[in-house]
Amino acid sequence: MGVCYDSFMWKKIHRFLMPAHDNNHRSKALHHDSLLVYVLLFALVNFGIRTLHKQFPDVLGYATDIRVYDLLSETNRKRSELGLGAVVLNDQLSQAAKAKAQDMFANGYWAHTSPQGKTPWEFIVGSGYKYTLAGENLAKNFSTSRGVVDAWMASPTHRDNVIKPGYHDVGFAVVNGILAGEETTLVVQMFGASERIAQVPKQAESKQVEVPIEVPVLAELPELAKVNQQMSPASQVLPAVSGVSKSPFINIPTLTREISFLFIGILVGILGIDFVVVSRRKIPRVAGHNIAHIIFLSALVIALITIRRGSLI
Amino acid sequence: MNIKHINFAVLILILGVGIATFLSVASDTNAQMWVVGAMSVCYVLWGIIYHAMEGDLHRKVILEYFLIAAIVMIVFATVLWT
Repeated sequence: MGVCYDSFMWKKIHRFLMPAHDNNHRSKALHHDSLLVYVLLFALVNFGIRTLHKQFPDVLGYATDIRVYDLLSETNRKRSELGLGAVVLNDQLSQAAKAKAQDMFANGYWAHTSPQGKTPWEFIVGSGYKYTLAGENLAKNFSTSRGVVDAWMASPTHRDNVIKPGYHDVGFAVVNGILAGEETTLVVQMFGASERIAQVPKQAESKQVEVPIEVPVLAELPELAKVNQQMSPASQVLPAVSGVSKSPFINIPTLTREISFLFIGILVGILGIDFVVVSRRKIPRVAGHNIAHIIFLSALVIALITIRRGSLI
Repeated sequence: MNIKHINFAVLILILGVGIATFLSVASDTNAQMWVVGAMSVCYVLWGIIYHAMEGDLHRKVILEYFLIAAIVMIVFATVLWT
């Protein structure tokens, strides 16, 4: 009985992996119905991960370890490598960064300017910081402090802010929340110089814009007054602002990448076996070109390897 | 170099440009997803043209290219968007 069952299973596996007369000379794993099952399975995995993450965020979540002091030291390390002076952590700029992060969560946007038209400079003014030069970098969904700063350095417009000699102060906010229905870790970095030259984010989507030397009076900006009221005293940096550190049992980005690599690796392997066997037997058949599929999948594996979680603007 | 080699060289060129574009928008996962979508569409079109030139274009072949492209899209959607 055991022998029969083993033989039956072996035939099934053989039929699944190897082209033969009983699978129309095409590995069953590469038949259209099998390919469709893979698409549906991945859709199910996608849905399952999202659902389980919402139900059990401590078990299945996003490992994050971003701290303000690490961001500060990484920023200053990059500056010192270029012979620039260090920027100093400024409580008012940190409060402005915190207010900006909270505004993004409250109004559901991911941009330098809010849907209501509020600019980063208004948050800075609202914090009481009298800037003559200011800049803002934003990042979301990175895992580590170094990852955030490295990504900023890899982006020319963000790099300009990090290494601008005119900046003397910096403020950070690292805040976790729900943005557009997704758990998001926002990092807001605000640079400033007071009573010196003034500049800030240039492009709306990146950060270097000339700002007026004359700073608007707070009383003329009711929205800013409101922001200011919501702020804690400058000396109080809340835990949500000083960093976000989470280590779920299973890290979603690691899980999805490993499943994807395993799956594509197996698929490429089966395509290779199928190609070799059919080529050796010189069997004519109507099917796609396995080598083309392998080239396409391999190219996308290269793309997969380069994926780093996190976005900048 | 025969026509088959030229076809494969075109495929590799398309994928190379696709990967370079993918890397250039590394800080924007939505843009990366669009790039993967464009690469997948190009791949299906390449498959159709290739098999038409080979004289073995069949509905089953087109469906196979669509399914391979769909697998790639869902894999990247899972990695980039979860």
